[in-house]
Formats: sequence, C-alpha cells, structure tokens
Amino acid sequence: MTRPAAIERVVLIAFAAFLVAVPWLIPALFNPFWVSVLAEILIWSLFAASVNLLFGYVGLLSFGQALYFGFGMYGVAIGIDNLGLPFWPALGLGVLAAMTMALVTGIFAVRLTWHYFAIITVVFSLIFYFLALTNKWLTGGDDGINFTLPPTFALGGWRLGLSDPTFQYLFILAVVALCFWLMHRLIESPLGKALLAIRDNDVRASLIGLNVYLLRLIAFVLAGFLAGTAGALFALFGRYASASYMFYHVSGEAVVWTVVGGAGTLLGPIVGTAIFILVREIVSSQWEHHELIVGLVAILVVIFAPRGLVGLWRDVLAAMCERKPEARSAIAAEPSVQVEP
Amino acid sequence: MSDPILRIEGLTKRFGGLTAVDNLGYTLTGGRLHAIIGPNGAGKTTLFNLISGLLAPDAGRILFAGRDITGLKPHAISRLGVKRTLQIKSVFPRLNVADNLWITAQAERRFLHPFRAAARDRGIAEKVERTLERIGLAELAQRPAGTLSYGDVALLEIGMALIAEPRLLLLDEPTCGMSPAETDRAVEVIRALAQSIDIVIIEHDMEVVFEIAADITVMAQGAILASGTPQEIAADERVREAYLGRPEDEDYVEEAAHA
Repeated sequence: MTRPAAIERVVLIAFAAFLVAVPWLIPALFNPFWVSVLAEILIWSLFAASVNLLFGYVGLLSFGQALYFGFGMYGVAIGIDNLGLPFWPALGLGVLAAMTMALVTGIFAVRLTWHYFAIITVVFSLIFYFLALTNKWLTGGDDGINFTLPPTFALGGWRLGLSDPTFQYLFILAVVALCFWLMHRLIESPLGKALLAIRDNDVRASLIGLNVYLLRLIAFVLAGFLAGTAGALFALFGRYASASYMFYHVSGEAVVWTVVGGAGTLLGPIVGTAIFILVREIVSSQWEHHELIVGLVAILVVIFAPRGLVGLWRDVLAAMCERKPEARSAIAAEPSVQVEP
Repeated sequence: MSDPILRIEGLTKRFGGLTAVDNLGYTLTGGRLHAIIGPNGAGKTTLFNLISGLLAPDAGRILFAGRDITGLKPHAISRLGVKRTLQIKSVFPRLNVADNLWITAQAERRFLHPFRAAARDRGIAEKVERTLERIGLAELAQRPAGTLSYGDVALLEIGMALIAEPRLLLLDEPTCGMSPAETDRAVEVIRALAQSIDIVIIEHDMEVVFEIAADITVMAQGAILASGTPQEIAADERVREAYLGRPEDEDYVEEAAHA
C-alpha cells in the first residue's frame, strides 16, 4: 500500500469509529439534537451518492434524482398508512417503487446525454412533482402523509423501533453503510469498470463491444435504488412523506453536494453533504442568508478544486508524501494498484 | 469456409445532398493486409463508420463472414469480431493503461459481474500482462491513458484491438501524427498482427502503405476507383490523375514501387 493510501485508510477507520460512537459521544459532548442532524447527513449523503454514481462514474448529470427519493418516501408512507404494511415490507415497497420508476423513466432518459439528459431528468421529476401535488387522495398533496411507525423488530411482547433514538441512528447508519459498501464493490467490479469506460469515451466503449445504452440504464436503476433507499429512510426518520421533496431544487442540492465533495470518489458525497448541512444547521439560526455561503463555497471549489474536496485532499496528501524521501522508498518497496476507496 | 471475410454490396450513404459513399461494392477475401487510400473526402472513414455500425447506410448490404451485419448496433458488430480504431486517437483517458486493456478484454461478456472484484479475474489479468509486453507498454501500465504521449496512445489503441482477438481489424490512419520512430514501431506491430488477423487499413502515409499492404484499394468521391497490388496501383493512370497526379506524390509512388 502506498503512503497516501495508508493515511487514507487510517482516516477512514477513525471516521467509521466516530460514526458508530455518535449516539453515545455526541449527547455527552454537545446535545442529543446533533445525533439526529448526523442521521440526516447520512441519509442525504446516500441521496448524493446516487447523483455521484451517475455523474462521477457514468458521466450522466441528473437533475431529477429527487423523483426517486420521493418515490422511496411515498412507497414507505403509502405502504404503512394506506396498505397497513409492517416495517420491512414498507421499506421494500419504497425501494422497489423508486427502482421501478427509475427503470420506466430511464428507458427514455438514457437515450440522451449531457444537457439533454439533464433536461429530461428535470422534466420527469417536475411532471411527477405536479402529479403528486394534485392527486391529494393518494399523496396528501402539500400536507403530505403523516404515519405512525410500526416496530422494526417485534418478538412476542418485545419491540424495537425507530422511536428509540439510538436505535434509529444505528439503523440509518447500518443501511447507509451497507449501500456505500455495495457501491464500493460495484466500482471495483467488471460492471463498474465498464461504466467508467462509458464515462470516459462512450463511442469507444461501443466499439469494444459494450452495450452502452443497456449499461447506462442499469446504472440509472442502481442510482434509483440509492435515491429510493435514501427517500425510504428519510420517510421513516421523519414519519411522513411530502411532494415537496420531489421538487428539482432537492435534486440540485445533491448535485452541488456531490460536486463540492468530489464527483467520482466514493466518499465525496458524504464530505459535501456534511459540510453543507452543518453550515445550514449552525449558521441558519444566526443569519438568514446562509445560502450565500453555500454558493460561495460551491464556486470556489469548482474553480480551485475541480475534483472536489476529496480530490483536493488527495492531491495535497500525494504532494506531501512526494516531498519526503522515505515515502518514495516505501512506494518502490511495495508497488500496489491504487484503487479508489 | 468459402465466404469472404467482408463483402459489401451497393453500399450508399448520403449526408443531405452529399453522397459520401456511392453504390460501393468491395470484397475482402482475407489473409492479406489490405489498404484503402484516397484523397480527403473520398469516404474512407465513412465506409469504416458504416462497417462498424456507427452509421446506418441508406442502401446496400454489409456481410461479415457471410453474415448480414447491415444496421446492427456498434457493440453487436464488435462482439462478432469486427474491431476498429478511430482516426482521432481514442482511449479511456481517466483509466490507467492496464484498465484500458482490461475493460476491452472483458467487454464482450454478456454478464458483467456487479459486485465481484475485477482484479480477481486471473485469466484476463494474464492476457493484459501479455498484451502489455507485446506492445511494449508494461512500464506504463499504471499511468492514466490521458497522460501518455501520442505515440504511446496509438500503441495502446493497437493493444486494445489486439487483446480483443478480432477476426477483422479496421485501422483508421494508425500512424497519423506519429514521429518516424513511432511509425516504424507501429508498422512492425501491424505487420505482426497481420499474420493472424485480417486487417484493413486507411492510411495517408504512402511510404507506410506501399511498405505493408498486399492489396490497395483507391477510393474517390465515395466509390472505388481502382484495386490491385501496389505495383498495379502505382502504374494505374486513373489513380495518378485522381489522386497521385501532383508531381511530388508521383515521385513518392515510383520510389515506393521500385523499393
């Protein structure tokens, strides 16, 4: 392992340890409110990861991922409130609804690329946003759907559900971590490499025998899975679903988080999302124009760190290790393939 | 097998008022390195685009080893064993050299495993190693392809064509923009490839064409003007008029023909 990779591994392990310790650490140091902020960051990171999968790994910029987030939300809310489903089937319904929607819209959307693709994804999300607003009997319109949480696990008289804040946080962490792990495996897999090839050069990819359309569609449905899972978690977390989360503004935020954090890196979306949500939570109580900070940071990053904050961190790390002579010998002694973690 | 490796009948492609390829017929029997030459705008690259499926013809048929491939998608044609390089050098710039070869070697698989580590596939890993040795890029295996020199990118492209084990290889100006040393190296690799693969090459460098081609076809204005051995082409009056008529080129051809 190279020195930068070793340093990154240490940082990752520390970060993972921190995330697991949050339900005990944060209330002791600050106050329990921040635990739910962190849970929210995890959920929105997963949503940003769906933008990242398409933009960073397939080269498709979607401004409509909120549609699948919304379907994840409504799948859970309608499952529980209208159909009376228990916890797990409702969660499954949310994810499945999002993936089905991604498949149906993807069949049309991935025929296009670049700005045409961006536009068609916005159009699809607007269509369903207005449909959700007007079909009050199903979606509750502007008010949304409020529901009572069924227990996650029930064994005889023993029940465990998201009403327990510690369990809620750990449940969200576990689901989000699982999704990021799956995405990591995907990127390293033959399918993942095929997606990278399409991102780099789609004409060439088709000439070497890759079915570009089908692979883009698969990626689109997988991105729908990530966004839908995030939406389902968010519905369970807030105990409600609302059409407002399907608006393209929500999609756009995830694009900004991803680009600032670092598109094409696994953890970029987490970094970007964390920064923006923390800024919002800390500054918005003091200053109503906190979005100016968001805009300023986004512009600075795009100009000075086009590979995002994670890309910037890697460049700095590589430059620092380059300067030390002992680092060079460490690299020479142990040549290894640099993989994107 | 009696079918020729490539057979083209009445192929026509129009762009608005311009007929880029005009009722073209062409048969490639195979076993020989075949070159296509012609002035700019003769329709050579359009012909390659039609064969590889990037463009759909307005009329005519293309048969690959007896099988009609007219109108198939590029990836489907590629999977049958027809590979090509592009005139503008075209690789996957953000992937490293080894991954460029790796993705090419596994691209034809119907099932791309979504979650197993790609690095674990030993068979493909060995193929990548062998190809890196053969094209002489083993040292640069971990470099992003976008950072390679022009000549190395061209070699990588040939390596990508090689690792895919094609039955028919279409090379579009493979030595365009190369230094003389790089050209020599590329010519050597192409010659070696021609031992086992049928190759059609579009080339502007007359020296290269007359050095490596067993057959030459001359295209002009979307149709075939002449076909034959390098000696026959060099002696052909019509070719001289249409394409090689300028004095400096004539010297070139005579020089090459007598070489």
